[in-house]
Parts: sequence; structure tokens; C-alpha cells
Amino acid sequence: MQYFSENELVVPGQILSDNPRQSGFGTYVREGKVYASVMGFAKSINGVLRIIPVSGRYRPQRGDKVLGIVSDVKPNAVEVDIGGETTAVIKPHERETTPLKIDIGDCVLAEVKATGLKGIVLATEGLQKIPSGILISVNAAKVPRIIGRKGSMLQVLRRETGCDFWVGRNGLIVVNGPDPAHEFAAVAAVNMIEREAHTSGLTERVIQMLRKMLGRGDEDSSN
Amino acid sequence: MKIRLIDENGLRVDGRRPDEMRRMRMEVGVLEKTDGSAYVELGGTRIYAGVIGPREVHPKHLELPDKGVINCRYHMASFSVDERKPLGMTRREIELSKVIREALETVVFLEEFPRMMIDIFVEVIQADGGTRTAGITAASLALADAGIPMADMIAAIAVGKVDGVLVLDINEEEDKYGEADMPVAIAPHLNSIVLLQLNGRMTPEEVDKGLEMAQKAVKKIHQMQIEALKRKYRVEPEGLET
Amino acid sequence: MSLGLEKRGYGIKIMKNKIYELLKIGKRIDEREPLQYRKIEISTGVVEKANGSALVSLGKTKILTGIKVEVGTPYPDRPNEGVFTVNAELLPLASKTFEPGPPDERAIELSRIVDRVIRESKAIEVEKLCIVEGQKVYMIFIDCYVLDYDGNYFDASVLSAVAALKTMTLPVYRVVDGRIEAVPGEKMKLPMRTLPVSVTMALIRDKIVVDPLPAEEDVADTVVTIGYDSEGVLSAVQKSSPGLLPVNMFKEMVKIGLDSSAMLRRRLLEGVGDG
Repeated sequence: MQYFSENELVVPGQILSDNPRQSGFGTYVREGKVYASVMGFAKSINGVLRIIPVSGRYRPQRGDKVLGIVSDVKPNAVEVDIGGETTAVIKPHERETTPLKIDIGDCVLAEVKATGLKGIVLATEGLQKIPSGILISVNAAKVPRIIGRKGSMLQVLRRETGCDFWVGRNGLIVVNGPDPAHEFAAVAAVNMIEREAHTSGLTERVIQMLRKMLGRGDEDSSN
Repeated sequence: MKIRLIDENGLRVDGRRPDEMRRMRMEVGVLEKTDGSAYVELGGTRIYAGVIGPREVHPKHLELPDKGVINCRYHMASFSVDERKPLGMTRREIELSKVIREALETVVFLEEFPRMMIDIFVEVIQADGGTRTAGITAASLALADAGIPMADMIAAIAVGKVDGVLVLDINEEEDKYGEADMPVAIAPHLNSIVLLQLNGRMTPEEVDKGLEMAQKAVKKIHQMQIEALKRKYRVEPEGLET
Repeated sequence: MSLGLEKRGYGIKIMKNKIYELLKIGKRIDEREPLQYRKIEISTGVVEKANGSALVSLGKTKILTGIKVEVGTPYPDRPNEGVFTVNAELLPLASKTFEPGPPDERAIELSRIVDRVIRESKAIEVEKLCIVEGQKVYMIFIDCYVLDYDGNYFDASVLSAVAALKTMTLPVYRVVDGRIEAVPGEKMKLPMRTLPVSVTMALIRDKIVVDPLPAEEDVADTVVTIGYDSEGVLSAVQKSSPGLLPVNMFKEMVKIGLDSSAMLRRRLLEGVGDG
């Protein structure tokens, strides 16, 4: 039996179900019942109850793309500050023929290869150095909303602002556009999504706001 | 000259009935630089709570290999009390930091962040009785706001005895001139006490009755906490990338 | 516009480039103009137990000042003047770079700058705060708490302290039978002869911006704070950051600061209900 509803914000200690086998991320089992341990929205996926957190620091997962600033370059490792007082590391391969051309202060987007006692290791494969743009920081829990289901929100943002977006799952984002007005509009949109992540009709409001800011107010937003 | 704390109608110095709480206000996510924060007002008591973490442990030798560490600092602004409080931590602040930490530690799932620490800051900007309990209530909100995994939220209130009568949510005057004060913090879903102190004289029956009063009040406070969290994080997610 | 990146010894290249690129066309990374302050919010009387208090938000930077009044002994060389002290604390919940414990050099610097702006402008008429010459005077404790830090705690703290001073009430003391007593039911305002404010500016190559963000401070050549009284006379200057400050740039700052100080004073008066 499920004790919560789909769109209800659950809080730590709240009872979710009496089937202990359903306990997933953000839940715990006590005396045969499943309770929430973090605040968020409870979702049942393939019979497993997990909480989608609405706040909190970024927890690195393998496969995540994160954005950071190179903080140190050593012979066997490049250190990258990914925010949240966390430093990740890139270990260039020993037989690397083309050395990574990255310096301290560079902004990079890379995939998390491993997490654990040895720290967070980023992959060299697919590493991108970001050439320019405005760097902003949002709460990591809101990044999925900024990306949208299958990237839908990000598509909207790109289309409406004409900007490039590099989005790190850790909450760091770079926006680079044809001119400052478009870049500021992009930043405003990201901030709006962060603030209103858990409301309905958000995509529509974002589009309206962007069109107003960039002077395309009379068009039908279903274009 | 003895101050009368309960008048002939059974009302308290501020006109409250013995089982009546003062007006309480809560807001979550009030500070930008913490990972979680809350502001609580209870009568004249005003408190900010902030949580930073999980973060690396400093100094490193305090790191634990299998679980996280919690630090708590309960601190009062110099202007929060009638007589200006000098700078630096007083013995009272140190004791309260400890009991508040232990209360919150009880419910936090420390095993989920080994080798890390969580800093909890409770800043009292005005004190009018019940600061440690309002502080715990605020800290619990801040921990939830910071996404820290916990078994339960914590709600707290102080029960006192004035002129022989058990009263709920003592204010400063009642604290100063009453016969006893008993702060209680409870994990509502677990129905367990996580902080309990008594300062003064109470019979076992009075303690029982006092705990009952506290439990009833804690239910209401907990409900307010849930509402405060919901206000901050409104309704449905749409198009979430899962 | 906050970045979760703190305590760095290096600069973020793309930010440095972007900040300067935008400044060339008269814009900053948060869309402000170079001489534009962030949104200022002032509330006074927020802590009733304090004689005066003010909560000031400058963008996301938040400062709470509380003032307490006591009776104390004057300095021997100033027997008929009241005494005041300023203390500022960088609360650990305001920034991941603020640690709990005794004030560090930044907190002490902030305390002393706020003190300087107020003291050197002679804002408080201390000669009117004497109770018994040579023996008893008013002692005013100004305590500023940084609750949230997003750049420029200097200007926000000065605004907060001065707003609290302007709206505070003090007991009226009389000598009765050789004892100092507060006259019941009587309160007085703090006698003030001017309203000082401070303007903090960052020099980024050859551009001057007011009210810098942390990201701007990170790429700035240097940062300067200047205190002005109501007549535009300077009462304090602090170059609070390493780096070269060309003399002509400083002269420019004095002028820019003067204009900003007038604006800040207007906001301050509005905030305390005198505008």
C-alpha cells in the first residue's frame, strides 16, 4: 500500500509504503515499512520507490557530465574544482600522445568515470574545454529540470536564446551567446527554472519571458 | 518581592493559558550560502539556522572511516539578550551546542557520508525563552532543506512550572522566575525523545504531564515544519529527467 | 550570481574575459551598469531587545546590526564624551570561507573600517552622551553580523550600522541621590551630526565598478572603500586588496564614490523612514 501521492512533497520520516522490498534511494526501512529519509518527490520506478531530491549538494555518479575549473596541473593528474568544495581529478593516460592542452583557470566539461575512496575521477575521453561564456551556479537538484525530459527544456533554451549551453550535473553552467542581451536572457531563464522548478506550466512561462526579453513577444509560442 | 506568574484567572504574564504556545513563524531557505537554512520565530525568540555539508572534515584527524561527523554551533548575538553578551562562546553556549548536536545526530544517517562532516549553525538574534528548542526546530528544517538524509524531523518545545502550574512554551520571564524548565525535543514519527533536560524541581507526575503537553505541542510544530517546507518547494514537477 | 567555487588562488579565465568584455560595453555579469548598486533593502527595529537594530540586504549580502547601550566610564583624556565600539563578525553560515572562532583579519578589518567611517566623520555627537563628567557616560556597542555573504560586506555593514544608530532609542539617565537612574518612560534618540556611508569600488584594468560581486573582486586589480559624510567630506579610505592602484584611478574613484554616496544616503533615509 502506497501512503503518498505523486505530487506531494515528502519529508524525512514520512511513511511511504509497507513493502520493504520497494526501498530505493532516499528511503529507509524500519519495522517492515518504508520511510523517506530525504525531502523530495517520491516516485515509483519499476516497483522501486525512490525520492527525487529537491535540494542538497551534488552527489557525483558515474556517467554524469560535470563542469569545473582546472585548479592544478601536475605531471600525473589534473585537478578540477567542481564546486561544493569538491576537487575531481583527470588522470591522463600514460601513453597519451597528445597531452591535454588544459591550464589552470580553464573551464572544462567532462564525464565522471569513477567515484569512491580514491576520489572523483573524470574521463579524458570526450573532455571539452569551454572557450568562453558566462559561468553561473545553480542548485544541483534543479539541473534535471533545466535539461528537461530527454533534453526538451535545454532545446527550448537553445532555440529561444541562440546560445550555447554547457550544463554540468553538478550545478555549474556556462552560457555563450551571439551578444550580451541573449546571454543575459539565457541566464535569466536558467534562474527562473531554478526558482520555479516544481511548478507546472514552467516551459510555457520560460518561452514567454524569453520572447518578451528578446523582443519576439507577439509570436505564438507553439512555433 | 515575588513576581506572580499566574494570575487569579489562571492566565500567564503575557495573557496565555497554561497550555498555549506563543505565535510561531517558520521560513525555509532564507540564506544563500548555506546548503540549507531556516528562520524560526517563537514569540520574541528569533533564530537563524544554517547547514553546510556534507563537506570534507577539517581538521582531518577528526575524520571517521565509516560514518560522517556532525558539528553544531549554538551562538547568541551580543544584542540578543537584555544584558549585552560579551564576545566569544560562553559555557552555556558550549553546553547547548553539545545537546543540540546530539539531538540531531540521533536521526541523521551518518553512515551515508563517511569521511565527511556536516556543520550546523544556530544563530540566536533575539532570545525570549526556548532558544535551544526553537534552535533545534530550525536546525531540523535546515537539515531537510540541505537534503541531508535523516530518519525523522525533530520538533522541540520547552515546558515549565510557574507558581506550581505546568506551562507550555515558557518565555524569558517564566524561565527566570519559574520553578522549573524542561526543554524537550522529539522525533515525531519515531515518537522518541532526542533531547531532554530539566532545570528545577518537578515530581515524577509533573514530568509525565509535562511530556504529554510537549508531545501534543510537537505534533503542531511538526505540522508547521512540513508546511514551511512545502511553501518553499511548491507543487508538481513536470518533464523531470529521471 | 554566486559561484560554488571558493578559496581559489587562480582565476577563472572565461569569467575574467567575459567580465572585461562586458565592461567595455558598459555592462557587468549581472546586467548592472558599472556605477549601479544592487537592490538595497533596509528594515530597522528588527530586534526589540536591542536599543537599535537594522537588517540590510545588498543584493544577496545580508548584514544585521544590533546596538546595546550601557553606562560606563569615559576615557581619561575625554572625560565628558560618550564611548562607542564597533565589532563585526563574519558568521560561518554566511560563507563557506568563514570559520567559527575568534575574528580573523577580515572580520577585524571590517570592524575597524565601519568604526573609522562612523568615528572620523564625527557622526555621533559624543559630547552629548555624558552623564557625570569624568565618571559616567553612555557606552554604545555596535555589533554587526554578516549573515550572508555575496560580496561587499563593507557598504552593507556601514548602511546597517548607521541605520541602526539613526533609529535607536536610548534611556535618559539622571543622577538621583548620587545614583544613576534611567528616567522611566523617557527615551531619547542618538544625537547625530551627519550620516556617513561608504562606497566600495573595484578597479578592473581601467574600469571602475561599484558594489563588486565576489567574481568581480576575484578578477579586480584592487578594491577600495571610501567613507563620506553628508557634506561629501571623506572620513575613511581603505585599499582592502593587494594590487596596483594608479593615482589617477583613485582620483576617479573619489569622484565616483561621491555620487554613489549621495544615492546611498537617500536610500538610507528612505529605509529609516526619513526619506
